[in-house]
Amino acid sequence: MVRGARSLRISPAGLRGIVGHGLTATHVLDFAAAFGTFLEPGGPVVLGRDPRVSSLMIREGVAGALLATGHDVVDLGIVSTPVIQHAMRRMDAAGGVSIGASHNPAEWNALKFLARGGRYLSSAESEELLDIYHLRKFRFRSWDALGRRREDETAIDAYLDALAAEFDLGALRRFRVLIDCTNGTSGLILRRMIERFGMNFILINEALEGRTFVHEPSTTKKMAELQLAPLVRTVGADAGFLFDIDSDRVAFADEQGEAASEEMVIVVIADELLERGPGRIVLTNLSTTALLDEVAAAHGGTVMRLPVGRQAVVDAMTAIPADRIAVAGEGTGAVMLPQFPYVYDGIASMLTILARMARRGEPLSELLAGYPSYTILKGKIPVRTHFVPELFDELERRYPEARIDRRDGLRLDWDGRWAHVRVSQTEPVVRVLCEQRGPAPRRLFDEIMDLVRSYSS
Amino acid sequence: MSRVHPLKISVAGIRGVVGDYLTPNLACAFAQAFGTYVGPGPVVVARDTRASGEMLVHAVACGLLASGCEVIKLGIVPTPTAQIYVADIRAAGGIAVTASHNPPEYNALKLFNSEGLFFNRYERAELIDLYHQSEFRQALNEDMRRVVLDAETAPERHFARILKQIDVEKIRRRRFRVALDAVNGAGSRMSVRFLRDILGCELHAIHADPSQPFPREPEPLPESLGELSGLVLRARADAGFAQDPDGDRLAVAGETGRVLDNDDVLALAVDCVLRKQKGPVVVNLTTTSAVEDIAARHGCPVYRAPVGEANVVERMRAVRAVIGGEGGNGGIIFPAVHLCRDSYTGMALILERMAETGETLNTLAAALPRYWRRSGKCPFEHGKLGLLMQALEAALPGARIDRTDGLKLMLPEGWIHVRASNTEPLLRISAEAKSREEADRLYALAASLC
Repeated sequence: MVRGARSLRISPAGLRGIVGHGLTATHVLDFAAAFGTFLEPGGPVVLGRDPRVSSLMIREGVAGALLATGHDVVDLGIVSTPVIQHAMRRMDAAGGVSIGASHNPAEWNALKFLARGGRYLSSAESEELLDIYHLRKFRFRSWDALGRRREDETAIDAYLDALAAEFDLGALRRFRVLIDCTNGTSGLILRRMIERFGMNFILINEALEGRTFVHEPSTTKKMAELQLAPLVRTVGADAGFLFDIDSDRVAFADEQGEAASEEMVIVVIADELLERGPGRIVLTNLSTTALLDEVAAAHGGTVMRLPVGRQAVVDAMTAIPADRIAVAGEGTGAVMLPQFPYVYDGIASMLTILARMARRGEPLSELLAGYPSYTILKGKIPVRTHFVPELFDELERRYPEARIDRRDGLRLDWDGRWAHVRVSQTEPVVRVLCEQRGPAPRRLFDEIMDLVRSYSS
Repeated sequence: MSRVHPLKISVAGIRGVVGDYLTPNLACAFAQAFGTYVGPGPVVVARDTRASGEMLVHAVACGLLASGCEVIKLGIVPTPTAQIYVADIRAAGGIAVTASHNPPEYNALKLFNSEGLFFNRYERAELIDLYHQSEFRQALNEDMRRVVLDAETAPERHFARILKQIDVEKIRRRRFRVALDAVNGAGSRMSVRFLRDILGCELHAIHADPSQPFPREPEPLPESLGELSGLVLRARADAGFAQDPDGDRLAVAGETGRVLDNDDVLALAVDCVLRKQKGPVVVNLTTTSAVEDIAARHGCPVYRAPVGEANVVERMRAVRAVIGGEGGNGGIIFPAVHLCRDSYTGMALILERMAETGETLNTLAAALPRYWRRSGKCPFEHGKLGLLMQALEAALPGARIDRTDGLKLMLPEGWIHVRASNTEPLLRISAEAKSREEADRLYALAASLC
């Protein structure tokens, strides 16, 4: 692996890179033309974007390529990915494109492609899209068969109608909630929720910013500790939430000003949704906290673990009846609810956590204290990819007593603790995670980190 | 092998059949080359009413934004209107998405510099090199600019410039009855406003709906303007005007419905301007000699440029011409308004002259020096033009010769001009003389050698 060289990534997950320095207008046009060629006709293609200035450039290119491949385009303007996905179902759209780089810094951007019903493309569909992209034989239509573009400004309201049907917003109105919008799309949606439903939200960093964000748009516990937690007590809020730019991920802090671990987002949501039913299955990845297994077991549910990444979850969901799934997500604060299928939706996640608080009738700090304590340690080390297979083999030899899972790097399981070592899909590093029920698994973590470091470039 | 290709990327810009040839990807890359060339700053983007215009505007905006330019979208406006807007706001440049008079399956990008003028030939060569080299300026998020929409002010800016140059009250007082065929083009709405509301004419308009397809051949030539002729007669109009899809070209019909020869319209416009203001005239090599006769009456010099608006404009700028244009295709260029072909300026100049003299269009046209013209074309083959030029020179040894664009042979009784078309794989042959017989003879001579 060459360190730092990758500022463009074209993969089944879409197109991602630093604009002007890897990700160019040429890539945008080619990829959007490939998507327009890939999509079956019938119904419009829905576009939405985040507030980055470069998203406007990408929007223009995507619109041009989709019109040229004969698709009508509905432009929702600045909206979150869940709003796009909801609008797609409402309009029976043939496809959708979400422009925005979510939790990446401002200089990045990305395109996410969505299929009919608002779902992410399956692995097979993504592979075909890539084949068309690489072949560069696009199906451009003649001048009299081009698409037409229109704008639709009602998408956020329609999406809020769906949220209001799913959550008892009247019951959640009593919570005073501090929310850091990180200059992203959540500000638009939450401001509208205040106007329409009288929610008691206090919004900070609400202004949409295109060039720089007030802080890094990451939803880690560290970010919540720095940016959010200290303010929660100051304003006397019952809870605090922090969103990334496209509000698919969320971090939170309790009324005492303590930031929760990012792993707790899916735990609290799973707890609530398993209790509500009918779904019994929790889909998550190999790197997510084992507390989830304990919570699921308490409700008679099971956890199904998958390789890291949205794609594995999306593929697995197509093979399981929707009503058997309680929740799907990862320990990064990205969670999908079955009512809003195939969508990582930070706003629905926040409402579910508030609903849990309403059901339990206790402050968030007490609610969190009621869970058994787990401690997770996370690290990353740049390595030479060439020796990664040897690294995994050495780790396996080193811990012969551990249960082994090789689906995504190497996961080692013992009673009460586990470790996961894998190659990141987004950065040129190997990630190491160690978790233990109770105190931190410091010795195990250090041992593994040392071993990985010996393969470091 | 056919020499007709559905895509042409040249120093004139990029033009082609939309679909497999003129793709959004190409338009985006070309726009990014353009943005790189003009540097970061506002770039004005306009289009005509072609179905592919919307798609290409998005692709062009993408390329411009990626190069760090701000994009000002004017929507559907005539090309001269966009050029004047560029000059007015001192933009970095402008792009008009229009294939002018080409059929509807075509589209093209017309490129303008910060003065709203065509680039000169050296600049155009630099731009095409930049495109081929594909090393574009790649703006980062922090230095990217946004899209600004201005659908309102462009027509007003254009009208304001014209109204400074003509006596609008004189025209309004006459309450001319005018017929218009706007070809459902970019000028549709503006032309109605200009003729009816500003010049106070009783307007009878057809094909002034920009949402409809072109109802006729987009090029405003006498043979495709039968509907306008009929309308002039029915409405008993004083004049009939026809535009092309991007509103730069103008055809004019007299009160009997007869569509005037485009060379005569230009000659008339030259006369209109020189009466008020003396100065040099520039026309292309194929334009009627009537222009020289008229200029001589006013004591003004005439310069000839190669065919093509950019060539004429380049020369007009260099000699500080007061009027110019291209006969044959209905392009009147009046620099006091802007150095571009402009159908609105043409309409205003002609109506003003009618108001001043009280004479009908046919009377004004009849007073022009009388020449007979013949023109035609033959298929292009590589090497053919050179042989034709040699043969003509040998056949007419006494002729004065101009080689700036093909070959023009000037004789006491008239002239012959042979050249390769800039836009199609054709050789164009034109002849003009004082009598019909002489014109026929000169044309037949050239055609027989072809």
